Parts: sequence; C-alpha cells; structure tokens
Amino acid sequence: MFGSHKVKIEGELLDKAKQCAEACGYESVDEFVLHMLEKEIKKVLPSDEGSAPSKEVVKKRLQGLGYIE
Amino acid sequence: MITIVSGLPRSGTSLMMQMLAVGGMSILSDGERQADVDNPRGYFEWERIKRLPKEPGCVAEAEGKVVKVISQLLLALPGGHEYRVIFMQRPLAEVLLSQEQMLRRRGTFDPAVDTSTLVKGFQNHLYEINTWLNSKPNLKVMRVHYHRVLNEPKAIAEKLTQFLELPLDLEAMVRQVDETLYRQRGK
Repeated sequence: MFGSHKVKIEGELLDKAKQCAEACGYESVDEFVLHMLEKEIKKVLPSDEGSAPSKEVVKKRLQGLGYIE
Repeated sequence: MITIVSGLPRSGTSLMMQMLAVGGMSILSDGERQADVDNPRGYFEWERIKRLPKEPGCVAEAEGKVVKVISQLLLALPGGHEYRVIFMQRPLAEVLLSQEQMLRRRGTFDPAVDTSTLVKGFQNHLYEINTWLNSKPNLKVMRVHYHRVLNEPKAIAEKLTQFLELPLDLEAMVRQVDETLYRQRGK
C-alpha cells in the first residue's frame, strides 16, 4: 500500500486550475492536478529512459568546460 | 574539517569562493586556471581535485581549508573526514546557457548535442548528487541559491558564518558581491 495524501487548493490558484482543467479538456481539477504532478515528477526523478546517453552528454560537457578529466 | 564549495559549473561556485576568501577563510587553490572573461576575479580552483576519483587521498590537503569540488566529483570524496558542503543552486536553464557561452569561448561547444538529452542528464545528475549528499553522516550541507547571494548578500553571509561556525568578515563578503553586481550591470 502506498497510502494517500490530500492537498488543499484554494483561492486564485483553484480558480486558475479550474480554468486550465476546462480549457484542456480534463474531467475535473483532480484529474488535471494529478496529470501535472505526474509530468513534474517525470522531470525531477531520474528515469532509466535514455539515461546512458544523457549521462555521457553530461560527462562530455564537464570535460569540455575543463572540470573533469 | 574540510569545507567544500560545490555545485554545477556556472552555478556561482567561484563567487562563493571569493566571498569566503575575503571573509577570511584559507583557500586551497593553485591559481593555475587564470581569471578570464567568464570569471574576471578568478576561479579559485585546485587542479589536482580533478584527480579525486583516482587519488581520493588528495583531499586531505584541504583539511582546515575551503576547496572547490564540482558536483560530479563529490561522489569520489573519501570517508574518514568531516565535510561541510556549501552547495550552490541556480536555475538549470541559466546554468546551461552560461556553460554554453563558456564552451563557445573555449572552442569546445558541440552544437550536435540534443538539448533535451542534456537537460535530462543534468536533472538526473542533480538528483543523484542530492540523494548522495543527504545520505552521508560525515557531511553537513548548506544549499545556497545564487540569486539569493546577489539579492541578499548580508543574509547569506550571516548564514554562512553560522553554518561554518567561523567569525568571517561579513562586510568584506557583502562588498565582494556588490562589486560583482556592479561589474555585471556595467557590461
């Protein structure tokens, strides 16, 4: 079990979230927020997808800058 | 105790080294990398630290001093020492742009590199480094945002003295940032 967590959204942020959810065709604010969260998590947490080439690109850049051998 | 200034290249590590130097800390640097247009006040680097993965024992020379260790090399720090790490943070887009300008000046810019691969690579790298930093009991970390240094140098200098538990010269540290800002605005 992963449990659950509630987040309270109110005021202007809630209004804007409703507008975005409607504009983008989400069925509810909940669905919109969950999708946004999944997108951001994908950005922050490391994924195995393409990790080898991206690691190599970072290494080459740091070498190009003269910071590693 | 070894004090380390770290972060991605172009995240403000040189500025932090300058602040600590004028604040009164002893710097481990060889001056081999000369000041240039990218860092007019110098890099405050110690070339030998690049050999850390092969010669982890070399970091012992930094005992009682402050040394710049780029984020990638942190993973090679050996146990057996107490470390205080000042980790510089700056929006990744700014860091990458500044790196690109530096690469172009060095003649090592590769235009074929896919930007999204690069961004993903650095995001993964930062996640790996931060996870590592949080897992080490012999290491204390202070994360410092580059823009906060520029906007609130006095507050940052005070926090640094608390973190390092050293009576640093606050006025000199603030002055160092002011002069950097003055130079940037003059461009």
